[in-house]
Amino acid sequence: MSRLELIGPQGLRNDGRRVQELRKINCKPSVLSQADGSAYIEQGNTKCLAAVYGPREARTKAQVLHNRANINVEISLAPFCMSERKKRSKSDKRILEIASAVKQTFETIIKTELFARSQIDIYLQILQFDGGTIQICINAATLALIDAGIPMVDYVCACSAGCIDDEPVLDLNYVEESHDTPELTVALLPKTGKITLLQMESRLHVDKFQSVMEMATVGCKKIYNILDDVVRENVKNLLEKKK
Amino acid sequence: MGKVTNENNVKPNPTITFEAETFRRIQPEEYLRKFVQQHVRPDGRSYNHFRKTTVNLSCITTADGSSMVRIGNTTIVCGIKAEVSEPKLNFPKEGYLVPNIDLSPICSPRFKPGPPSEQAQIISENLNKLLKNPKVIDLETLCIEEGKAAWVLFADIVCVNYDGNIFDACVMALISALADVKLPKAVYEDGLVKATEEKIFALSFIRIPYSISFAMFDGKHLLADPNEMEESIIKSAITIAIDEAGQLCNIWKVGTSCTSEQLRFCISKARERYVDITSIIEKAKQAT
Repeated sequence: MSRLELIGPQGLRNDGRRVQELRKINCKPSVLSQADGSAYIEQGNTKCLAAVYGPREARTKAQVLHNRANINVEISLAPFCMSERKKRSKSDKRILEIASAVKQTFETIIKTELFARSQIDIYLQILQFDGGTIQICINAATLALIDAGIPMVDYVCACSAGCIDDEPVLDLNYVEESHDTPELTVALLPKTGKITLLQMESRLHVDKFQSVMEMATVGCKKIYNILDDVVRENVKNLLEKKK
Repeated sequence: MGKVTNENNVKPNPTITFEAETFRRIQPEEYLRKFVQQHVRPDGRSYNHFRKTTVNLSCITTADGSSMVRIGNTTIVCGIKAEVSEPKLNFPKEGYLVPNIDLSPICSPRFKPGPPSEQAQIISENLNKLLKNPKVIDLETLCIEEGKAAWVLFADIVCVNYDGNIFDACVMALISALADVKLPKAVYEDGLVKATEEKIFALSFIRIPYSISFAMFDGKHLLADPNEMEESIIKSAITIAIDEAGQLCNIWKVGTSCTSEQLRFCISKARERYVDITSIIEKAKQAT
Protein backbone atom coordinates (compact mmCIF):
# COMPACT_ATOMS: atom_id res chain seq x y z
CA MET A 1 0.00 0.00 0.00
CA SER A 2 1.36 3.39 -0.95
CA ARG A 3 -0.53 4.99 1.86
CA LEU A 4 1.47 6.64 4.60
CA GLU A 5 1.29 4.61 7.76
CA LEU A 6 -0.62 6.78 10.19
CA ILE A 7 -0.26 4.51 13.19
CA GLY A 8 3.18 3.06 13.68
CA PRO A 9 3.98 -0.48 14.87
CA GLN A 10 4.28 0.67 18.48
CA GLY A 11 0.80 2.17 18.32
CA LEU A 12 2.16 5.69 18.06
CA ARG A 13 0.85 8.25 15.59
CA ASN A 14 2.98 10.42 13.31
CA ASP A 15 3.23 13.17 15.93
CA GLY A 16 4.12 10.74 18.71
CA ARG A 17 0.72 10.54 20.38
CA ARG A 18 -1.18 7.44 21.38
CA VAL A 19 -4.61 6.83 19.84
CA GLN A 20 -6.65 8.20 22.73
CA GLU A 21 -4.38 11.15 23.41
CA LEU A 22 -5.30 14.82 22.84
CA ARG A 23 -2.82 17.31 21.49
CA LYS A 24 -1.38 19.65 24.07
CA ILE A 25 -3.79 22.51 24.73
CA ASN A 26 -2.53 25.87 25.81
CA CYS A 27 -5.05 28.65 26.26
CA LYS A 28 -5.37 32.09 27.72
CA PRO A 29 -8.39 34.39 28.02
CA SER A 30 -8.25 38.23 27.97
CA VAL A 31 -5.37 38.61 25.57
CA LEU A 32 -6.60 41.63 23.61
CA SER A 33 -7.12 45.09 25.04
CA GLN A 34 -9.52 46.43 22.40
CA ALA A 35 -12.05 43.61 22.35
CA ASP A 36 -14.82 43.09 24.91
CA GLY A 37 -13.74 39.51 25.32
CA SER A 38 -10.89 37.57 23.80
CA ALA A 39 -9.00 34.31 24.01
CA TYR A 40 -6.01 32.59 22.51
CA ILE A 41 -5.92 28.85 22.16
CA GLU A 42 -3.25 26.52 20.91
CA GLN A 43 -4.02 22.90 20.26
CA GLY A 44 -0.87 21.20 19.11
CA ASN A 45 0.23 23.24 16.12
CA THR A 46 -3.15 24.83 15.47
CA LYS A 47 -3.27 28.34 16.86
CA CYS A 48 -6.40 30.44 17.02
CA LEU A 49 -7.29 33.84 18.35
CA ALA A 50 -10.86 34.87 19.15
CA ALA A 51 -12.33 38.30 19.82
CA VAL A 52 -15.88 39.04 20.90
CA TYR A 53 -17.50 42.45 20.54
CA GLY A 54 -20.88 43.23 21.93
CA PRO A 55 -23.69 43.07 22.60
CA ARG A 56 -23.63 46.25 20.54
CA GLU A 57 -25.76 48.09 18.03
CA ALA A 58 -26.28 46.09 14.84
CA ARG A 59 -24.25 47.39 11.92
CA THR A 60 -27.09 47.31 9.41
CA LYS A 61 -30.81 47.51 9.93
CA ALA A 62 -31.31 44.23 8.10
CA GLN A 63 -29.44 42.42 10.87
CA VAL A 64 -31.73 43.64 13.65
CA LEU A 65 -33.87 40.91 15.18
CA HIS A 66 -36.68 42.33 17.25
CA ASN A 67 -36.74 39.60 19.89
CA ARG A 68 -33.12 38.49 20.26
CA ALA A 69 -29.52 39.35 19.53
CA ASN A 70 -28.02 38.56 16.17
CA ILE A 71 -24.80 36.57 16.28
CA ASN A 72 -22.21 37.24 13.64
CA VAL A 73 -19.26 34.88 13.23
CA GLU A 74 -16.33 35.56 10.96
CA ILE A 75 -13.31 33.37 10.49
CA SER A 76 -10.16 34.47 8.77
CA LEU A 77 -7.14 32.37 7.99
CA ALA A 78 -3.77 34.11 8.02
CA PRO A 79 -2.12 33.71 4.60
CA PHE A 80 0.88 32.06 6.24
CA CYS A 81 -1.09 29.57 8.32
CA MET A 82 -0.66 26.53 6.08
CA SER A 83 2.34 24.95 4.44
CA GLU A 84 1.29 26.39 1.10
CA ARG A 85 0.45 30.06 0.86
CA LYS A 86 -3.09 30.47 -0.32
CA LYS A 87 -4.86 33.76 -0.24
CA ARG A 88 -8.22 32.64 0.98
CA SER A 89 -10.93 35.19 0.67
CA LYS A 90 -13.45 35.57 3.44
CA SER A 91 -16.13 34.32 1.11
CA ASP A 92 -14.39 30.95 0.67
CA LYS A 93 -17.24 28.44 0.87
CA ARG A 94 -15.42 26.07 3.19
CA ILE A 95 -14.73 28.86 5.70
CA LEU A 96 -18.26 30.20 5.42
CA GLU A 97 -19.60 26.74 6.18
CA ILE A 98 -17.46 26.48 9.31
CA ALA A 99 -18.47 29.99 10.39
CA SER A 100 -22.10 29.07 9.94
CA ALA A 101 -21.63 25.89 12.02
CA VAL A 102 -20.04 27.96 14.81
CA LYS A 103 -22.84 30.51 14.59
CA GLN A 104 -25.57 27.89 14.79
CA THR A 105 -23.86 26.27 17.76
CA PHE A 106 -23.75 29.46 19.77
CA GLU A 107 -27.21 30.71 18.81
CA THR A 108 -28.74 28.12 21.08
CA ILE A 109 -26.18 28.48 23.87
CA ILE A 110 -26.04 32.25 24.28
CA LYS A 111 -29.07 33.76 25.98
CA THR A 112 -29.76 35.94 22.97
CA GLU A 113 -33.27 36.86 24.11
CA LEU A 114 -31.71 39.13 26.76
CA PHE A 115 -30.24 41.43 24.14
CA ALA A 116 -33.02 42.15 21.67
CA ARG A 117 -32.15 44.33 18.67
CA SER A 118 -28.41 44.06 19.22
CA GLN A 119 -25.52 42.17 17.72
CA ILE A 120 -22.74 40.01 19.09
CA ASP A 121 -19.68 39.69 16.86
CA ILE A 122 -17.34 36.75 17.15
CA TYR A 123 -14.15 37.13 15.11
CA LEU A 124 -11.80 34.20 14.80
CA GLN A 125 -8.32 34.40 13.38
CA ILE A 126 -6.38 31.25 12.64
CA LEU A 127 -2.68 31.98 12.83
CA GLN A 128 -1.33 28.51 12.25
CA PHE A 129 -3.22 25.52 10.98
CA ASP A 130 -2.75 21.83 11.68
CA GLY A 131 -6.22 20.33 11.44
CA GLY A 132 -9.37 20.61 13.51
CA THR A 133 -10.69 24.01 12.40
CA ILE A 134 -14.21 23.65 13.74
CA GLN A 135 -13.19 22.32 17.11
CA ILE A 136 -10.60 25.01 17.76
CA CYS A 137 -12.97 27.75 16.58
CA ILE A 138 -15.71 26.58 18.94
CA ASN A 139 -13.36 26.21 21.89
CA ALA A 140 -11.78 29.63 21.31
CA ALA A 141 -15.19 31.27 20.89
CA THR A 142 -16.45 29.70 24.14
CA LEU A 143 -13.50 31.07 26.05
CA ALA A 144 -13.81 34.54 24.49
CA LEU A 145 -17.57 34.69 25.15
CA ILE A 146 -17.00 33.77 28.80
CA ASP A 147 -14.31 36.45 28.96
CA ALA A 148 -16.77 38.99 27.52
CA GLY A 149 -19.26 38.09 30.24
CA ILE A 150 -22.01 37.13 27.80
CA PRO A 151 -24.63 34.94 29.52
CA MET A 152 -24.57 31.38 28.25
CA VAL A 153 -26.35 28.21 29.24
CA ASP A 154 -23.13 26.24 29.52
CA TYR A 155 -19.68 25.86 28.03
CA VAL A 156 -19.51 24.38 24.55
CA CYS A 157 -16.56 22.09 24.03
CA ALA A 158 -15.72 20.51 20.73
CA CYS A 159 -13.45 17.66 19.83
CA SER A 160 -12.85 15.49 16.83
CA ALA A 161 -12.25 11.79 16.54
CA GLY A 162 -11.63 9.55 13.59
CA CYS A 163 -11.08 6.00 12.63
CA ILE A 164 -7.76 4.81 11.23
CA ASP A 165 -7.35 1.14 10.27
CA ASP A 166 -10.49 0.19 12.20
CA GLU A 167 -9.18 1.84 15.32
CA PRO A 168 -10.84 4.91 16.84
CA VAL A 169 -8.41 7.82 17.12
CA LEU A 170 -8.85 11.04 19.07
CA ASP A 171 -8.14 14.61 17.89
CA LEU A 172 -6.90 14.31 14.30
CA ASN A 173 -4.12 16.52 13.02
CA TYR A 174 -3.78 17.81 9.48
CA VAL A 175 -1.83 14.81 8.13
CA GLU A 176 -4.40 12.37 9.49
CA GLU A 177 -7.30 14.55 8.34
CA SER A 178 -6.04 14.80 4.79
CA HIS A 179 -5.59 11.03 4.37
CA ASP A 180 -9.26 10.45 3.77
CA THR A 181 -9.81 9.44 7.39
CA PRO A 182 -13.42 9.50 8.52
CA GLU A 183 -13.62 12.42 10.92
CA LEU A 184 -16.36 13.10 13.41
CA THR A 185 -16.51 16.48 15.14
CA VAL A 186 -18.67 16.66 18.23
CA ALA A 187 -19.58 19.76 20.21
CA LEU A 188 -21.37 19.20 23.46
CA LEU A 189 -22.54 20.89 26.62
CA PRO A 190 -20.39 19.20 29.24
CA LYS A 191 -22.79 19.64 32.19
CA THR A 192 -25.77 17.96 30.59
CA GLY A 193 -23.88 15.95 27.99
CA LYS A 194 -26.19 17.24 25.27
CA ILE A 195 -24.77 17.37 21.78
CA THR A 196 -25.11 20.65 19.89
CA LEU A 197 -23.04 19.89 16.83
CA LEU A 198 -22.17 16.70 15.06
CA GLN A 199 -20.37 16.65 11.78
CA MET A 200 -18.94 13.73 9.94
CA GLU A 201 -16.88 13.64 6.81
CA SER A 202 -16.03 10.62 4.70
CA ARG A 203 -17.36 7.09 5.20
CA LEU A 204 -17.48 5.31 8.52
CA HIS A 205 -18.87 1.88 9.22
CA VAL A 206 -21.97 2.05 11.38
CA ASP A 207 -20.55 -0.50 13.87
CA LYS A 208 -17.59 1.77 14.49
CA PHE A 209 -19.71 4.88 14.96
CA GLN A 210 -20.50 4.26 18.62
CA SER A 211 -16.88 3.83 19.69
CA VAL A 212 -15.67 6.86 17.70
CA MET A 213 -18.49 8.93 19.15
CA GLU A 214 -17.64 7.85 22.67
CA MET A 215 -14.02 8.73 22.14
CA ALA A 216 -14.93 12.23 20.91
CA THR A 217 -17.25 12.70 23.90
CA VAL A 218 -14.45 11.79 26.30
CA GLY A 219 -12.20 14.26 24.43
CA CYS A 220 -14.80 17.02 24.87
CA LYS A 221 -14.95 16.39 28.61
CA LYS A 222 -11.14 16.55 28.84
CA ILE A 223 -11.16 19.84 26.94
CA TYR A 224 -13.90 21.12 29.23
CA ASN A 225 -11.72 20.45 32.28
CA ILE A 226 -8.81 22.34 30.72
CA LEU A 227 -10.97 25.33 29.74
CA ASP A 228 -12.73 25.40 33.10
CA ASP A 229 -9.43 25.43 34.99
CA VAL A 230 -8.19 28.34 32.89
CA VAL A 231 -11.41 30.32 33.36
CA ARG A 232 -11.38 29.78 37.13
CA GLU A 233 -7.72 30.75 37.35
CA ASN A 234 -8.43 33.89 35.34
CA VAL A 235 -11.35 34.90 37.56
CA LYS A 236 -9.23 34.29 40.64
CA ASN A 237 -6.56 36.63 39.27
CA LEU A 238 -9.19 39.25 38.49
CA LEU A 239 -10.56 39.08 42.04
CA GLU A 240 -7.10 39.40 43.49
CA LYS A 241 -6.49 42.50 41.39
CA LYS A 242 -9.72 44.02 42.73
CA LYS A 243 -8.65 43.63 46.33
CA MET B 1 -7.42 59.97 39.56
CA GLY B 2 -11.02 59.35 40.58
CA LYS B 3 -13.52 62.15 40.60
CA VAL B 4 -12.79 65.67 39.52
CA THR B 5 -14.38 67.18 42.65
CA ASN B 6 -14.28 66.02 46.22
CA GLU B 7 -16.80 63.30 46.92
CA ASN B 8 -17.01 64.07 50.64
CA ASN B 9 -18.29 67.55 49.97
CA VAL B 10 -21.56 67.62 51.93
CA LYS B 11 -22.98 70.73 50.33
CA PRO B 12 -24.79 70.11 47.07
CA ASN B 13 -22.56 71.43 44.37
CA PRO B 14 -24.36 73.48 41.71
CA THR B 15 -21.79 72.71 38.99
CA ILE B 16 -21.93 69.39 37.18
CA THR B 17 -19.21 66.92 38.11
CA PHE B 18 -17.88 64.11 35.98
CA GLU B 19 -15.88 61.00 36.40
CA ALA B 20 -12.54 61.35 34.63
CA GLU B 21 -13.62 58.57 32.24
CA THR B 22 -16.78 60.50 31.26
CA PHE B 23 -14.68 63.60 30.69
CA ARG B 24 -12.39 61.59 28.40
CA ARG B 25 -15.32 60.33 26.39
CA ILE B 26 -17.12 63.60 25.80
CA GLN B 27 -14.11 65.94 25.52
CA PRO B 28 -11.16 63.80 24.44
CA GLU B 29 -9.11 66.70 23.13
CA GLU B 30 -9.56 68.80 26.25
CA TYR B 31 -8.79 65.73 28.34
CA LEU B 32 -5.47 65.19 26.59
CA ARG B 33 -4.67 68.91 26.81
CA LYS B 34 -5.15 68.88 30.60
CA PHE B 35 -2.52 66.13 30.83
CA VAL B 36 -0.12 67.65 28.35
CA GLN B 37 -0.19 70.96 30.26
CA GLN B 38 1.23 68.99 33.19
CA HIS B 39 3.95 67.50 30.92
CA VAL B 40 2.58 64.00 31.19
CA ARG B 41 0.41 61.80 28.97
CA PRO B 42 -2.80 59.99 29.96
CA ASP B 43 -1.03 56.63 30.23
CA GLY B 44 1.62 58.10 32.56
CA ARG B 45 4.41 58.42 30.01
CA SER B 46 6.50 61.54 29.44
CA TYR B 47 6.62 63.09 25.94
CA ASN B 48 9.65 61.17 24.72
CA HIS B 49 8.90 57.88 26.35
CA PHE B 50 8.33 54.88 24.10
CA ARG B 51 6.13 52.00 25.24
CA LYS B 52 7.57 48.66 26.23
CA THR B 53 8.55 46.78 23.10
CA THR B 54 9.05 43.05 22.73
CA VAL B 55 9.93 40.90 19.75
CA ASN B 56 9.43 37.17 19.33
CA LEU B 57 11.01 35.37 16.38
CA SER B 58 10.07 32.12 14.59
CA CYS B 59 6.69 31.90 16.30
CA ILE B 60 4.81 30.49 13.26
CA THR B 61 6.28 27.17 12.20
CA THR B 62 4.34 26.97 8.92
CA ALA B 63 5.99 30.18 7.68
CA ASP B 64 9.53 30.46 6.26
CA GLY B 65 10.22 33.37 8.57
CA SER B 66 8.03 34.96 11.19
CA SER B 67 7.97 37.39 14.06
CA MET B 68 5.60 38.86 16.59
CA VAL B 69 6.10 42.42 17.75
CA ARG B 70 4.39 44.14 20.64
CA ILE B 71 4.63 47.85 21.30
CA GLY B 72 2.56 48.44 24.41
CA ASN B 73 -0.73 46.76 23.56
CA THR B 74 -0.25 46.94 19.80
CA THR B 75 0.46 43.42 18.57
CA ILE B 76 1.55 42.49 15.06
CA VAL B 77 2.31 39.06 13.61
CA CYS B 78 4.30 38.87 10.40
CA GLY B 79 4.72 35.63 8.47
CA ILE B 80 6.78 35.27 5.33
CA LYS B 81 6.10 32.59 2.75
CA ALA B 82 8.46 31.95 -0.15
CA GLU B 83 7.29 30.73 -3.53
CA VAL B 84 9.02 30.21 -6.83
CA SER B 85 7.78 32.28 -9.73
CA GLU B 86 8.94 33.84 -12.98
CA PRO B 87 10.81 37.14 -12.52
CA LYS B 88 9.18 40.32 -13.76
CA LEU B 89 9.95 41.12 -17.40
CA ASN B 90 11.74 44.40 -16.74
CA PHE B 91 13.82 42.95 -13.86
CA PRO B 92 14.79 39.46 -15.11
CA LYS B 93 17.61 39.13 -12.57
CA GLU B 94 15.54 39.89 -9.49
CA GLY B 95 13.10 38.17 -7.23
CA TYR B 96 10.48 40.23 -5.49
CA LEU B 97 8.92 40.98 -2.18
CA VAL B 98 5.23 41.66 -1.57
CA PRO B 99 4.25 43.18 1.77
CA ASN B 100 0.60 43.15 2.70
CA ILE B 101 -1.18 44.09 5.90
CA ASP B 102 -4.53 42.89 7.13
CA LEU B 103 -6.40 45.09 9.60
CA SER B 104 -9.18 42.69 10.47
CA PRO B 105 -12.03 43.54 12.86
CA ILE B 106 -10.38 41.30 15.45
CA CYS B 107 -7.85 44.00 16.34
CA SER B 108 -10.12 46.94 17.01
CA PRO B 109 -13.84 47.78 16.96
CA ARG B 110 -12.94 50.52 14.46
CA PHE B 111 -12.37 48.10 11.60
CA LYS B 112 -15.19 46.54 9.66
CA PRO B 113 -15.07 43.17 7.92
CA GLY B 114 -14.74 43.28 4.17
CA PRO B 115 -12.12 44.35 1.62
CA PRO B 116 -8.93 46.01 2.97
CA SER B 117 -9.60 49.47 4.33
CA GLU B 118 -7.96 52.61 3.02
CA GLN B 119 -5.67 52.68 6.02
CA ALA B 120 -4.53 49.09 5.40
CA GLN B 121 -3.77 49.88 1.76
CA ILE B 122 -1.82 53.00 2.71
CA ILE B 123 0.29 51.07 5.19
CA SER B 124 0.95 48.29 2.66
CA GLU B 125 2.03 50.85 0.08
CA ASN B 126 4.26 52.71 2.53
CA LEU B 127 5.92 49.44 3.56
CA ASN B 128 6.48 48.65 -0.10
CA LYS B 129 8.08 52.07 -0.63
CA LEU B 130 10.29 51.63 2.39
CA LEU B 131 11.57 48.28 1.09
CA LYS B 132 12.11 49.43 -2.49
CA ASN B 133 13.52 52.88 -2.19
CA PRO B 134 16.21 52.84 -0.85
CA LYS B 135 16.76 49.12 -1.38
CA VAL B 136 16.65 47.06 1.79
CA ILE B 137 17.17 43.56 0.42
CA ASP B 138 19.47 42.57 -2.38
CA LEU B 139 16.77 41.21 -4.68
CA GLU B 140 19.32 39.72 -7.07
CA THR B 141 20.18 37.07 -4.48
CA LEU B 142 16.56 35.90 -4.79
CA CYS B 143 17.06 35.05 -8.45
CA ILE B 144 17.36 31.32 -9.20
CA GLU B 145 17.81 31.51 -12.99
CA GLU B 146 17.81 34.74 -14.95
CA GLY B 147 14.47 35.36 -16.63
CA LYS B 148 13.25 31.88 -15.68
CA ALA B 149 12.77 31.47 -11.95
CA ALA B 150 13.09 33.55 -8.82
CA TRP B 151 11.93 33.53 -5.23
CA VAL B 152 8.89 35.60 -4.38
CA LEU B 153 8.53 36.50 -0.74
CA PHE B 154 5.02 37.18 0.45
CA ALA B 155 5.19 39.11 3.69
CA ASP B 156 1.75 38.93 5.25
CA ILE B 157 1.22 41.05 8.31
CA VAL B 158 -1.73 40.46 10.59
CA CYS B 159 -2.65 43.04 13.17
CA VAL B 160 -3.83 41.22 16.27
CA ASN B 161 -4.36 44.17 18.58
CA TYR B 162 -4.57 47.79 17.49
CA ASP B 163 -3.41 50.38 20.00
CA GLY B 164 -1.77 53.03 17.89
CA ASN B 165 1.58 53.45 16.15
CA ILE B 166 0.92 50.51 13.91
CA PHE B 167 3.39 51.50 11.21
CA ASP B 168 6.43 51.31 13.50
CA ALA B 169 5.28 47.91 14.71
CA CYS B 170 4.76 46.71 11.13
CA VAL B 171 8.23 47.81 10.06
CA MET B 172 9.81 46.11 13.06
CA ALA B 173 7.84 42.92 12.44
CA LEU B 174 8.60 42.93 8.72
CA ILE B 175 12.34 43.55 9.06
CA SER B 176 12.79 41.04 11.88
CA ALA B 177 10.74 38.41 10.02
CA LEU B 178 12.84 38.96 6.88
CA ALA B 179 15.96 38.49 8.96
CA ASP B 180 14.43 35.24 10.25
CA VAL B 181 13.80 33.82 6.75
CA LYS B 182 15.68 30.66 5.84
CA LEU B 183 15.29 29.37 2.30
CA PRO B 184 16.40 26.11 0.73
CA LYS B 185 19.12 26.27 -1.89
CA ALA B 186 17.40 26.05 -5.27
CA VAL B 187 18.74 25.21 -8.72
CA TYR B 188 17.07 25.45 -12.11
CA GLU B 189 17.32 22.38 -14.33
CA ASP B 190 15.51 22.19 -17.68
CA GLY B 191 12.30 23.88 -16.74
CA LEU B 192 12.24 22.54 -13.18
CA VAL B 193 13.36 24.12 -9.95
CA LYS B 194 14.95 21.70 -7.52
CA ALA B 195 15.38 22.69 -3.91
CA THR B 196 17.41 21.12 -1.12
CA GLU B 197 15.65 19.73 1.89
CA GLU B 198 17.54 21.77 4.48
CA LYS B 199 17.00 25.48 4.74
CA ILE B 200 20.29 27.30 4.81
CA PHE B 201 20.13 30.39 2.74
CA ALA B 202 19.36 33.67 4.57
CA LEU B 203 18.52 36.99 2.95
CA SER B 204 21.22 39.59 2.48
CA PHE B 205 20.37 43.02 3.74
CA ILE B 206 21.71 46.18 2.14
CA ARG B 207 20.48 48.31 5.01
CA ILE B 208 18.19 47.80 7.97
CA PRO B 209 15.65 50.59 8.33
CA TYR B 210 13.29 51.05 11.25
CA SER B 211 10.63 53.70 11.51
CA ILE B 212 9.93 55.90 14.49
CA SER B 213 6.72 57.90 14.82
CA PHE B 214 5.77 61.05 16.68
CA ALA B 215 2.43 62.75 17.10
CA MET B 216 2.16 66.51 17.28
CA PHE B 217 -0.42 67.94 19.63
CA ASP B 218 -1.51 71.60 19.48
CA GLY B 219 1.33 72.33 17.08
CA LYS B 220 4.04 72.31 19.73
CA HIS B 221 4.03 69.14 21.82
CA LEU B 222 5.74 66.15 20.25
CA LEU B 223 4.53 62.85 21.65
CA ALA B 224 6.68 59.83 20.82
CA ASP B 225 5.01 56.51 20.01
CA PRO B 226 1.35 57.66 20.21
CA ASN B 227 -1.24 55.17 21.38
CA GLU B 228 -4.67 54.75 19.83
CA MET B 229 -6.36 57.37 21.99
CA GLU B 230 -3.70 59.99 21.22
CA GLU B 231 -3.69 59.08 17.53
CA SER B 232 -7.43 59.63 17.27
CA ILE B 233 -7.13 63.19 18.62
CA ILE B 234 -3.96 64.59 17.09
CA LYS B 235 -4.06 66.22 13.69
CA SER B 236 -0.44 65.85 12.74
CA ALA B 237 2.06 63.00 12.72
CA ILE B 238 5.67 62.54 11.72
CA THR B 239 7.18 59.17 10.82
CA ILE B 240 10.90 58.91 10.24
CA ALA B 241 12.65 55.86 8.86
CA ILE B 242 16.38 55.65 9.44
CA ASP B 243 18.99 52.98 8.81
CA GLU B 244 21.86 51.64 10.88
CA ALA B 245 24.20 54.46 9.75
CA GLY B 246 21.70 57.00 11.06
CA GLN B 247 20.86 58.02 7.49
CA LEU B 248 17.31 59.05 6.68
CA CYS B 249 15.48 56.56 4.47
CA ASN B 250 11.99 57.97 4.39
CA ILE B 251 9.97 60.67 6.09
CA TRP B 252 6.22 60.87 6.18
CA LYS B 253 4.67 63.99 7.55
CA VAL B 254 0.92 64.44 7.51
CA GLY B 255 -1.43 67.08 8.88
CA THR B 256 -0.64 70.55 10.16
CA SER B 257 2.72 72.26 9.73
CA CYS B 258 5.80 71.81 11.87
CA THR B 259 9.00 73.81 12.21
CA SER B 260 12.39 72.60 11.08
CA GLU B 261 13.59 72.56 14.71
CA GLN B 262 10.82 70.14 15.56
CA LEU B 263 11.82 67.95 12.66
CA ARG B 264 15.46 68.02 13.74
CA PHE B 265 14.41 67.12 17.27
CA CYS B 266 12.42 64.16 15.95
CA ILE B 267 15.38 62.93 13.91
CA SER B 268 17.72 63.06 16.90
CA LYS B 269 15.18 61.22 19.07
CA ALA B 270 14.67 58.68 16.28
CA ARG B 271 18.40 57.95 16.21
CA GLU B 272 18.34 57.27 19.96
CA ARG B 273 15.33 54.99 19.58
CA TYR B 274 16.98 53.13 16.69
CA VAL B 275 19.70 51.90 19.04
CA ASP B 276 17.07 50.61 21.46
CA ILE B 277 15.20 48.78 18.69
CA THR B 278 18.35 47.03 17.46
CA SER B 279 19.21 45.87 20.96
CA ILE B 280 15.65 44.51 21.43
CA ILE B 281 15.86 42.56 18.16
CA GLU B 282 19.37 41.30 18.94
CA LYS B 283 18.07 39.97 22.24
CA ALA B 284 15.19 38.22 20.44
CA LYS B 285 17.64 36.61 18.00
CA GLN B 286 19.70 35.24 20.85
CA ALA B 287 16.59 33.87 22.55
CA THR B 288 15.65 31.72 19.53
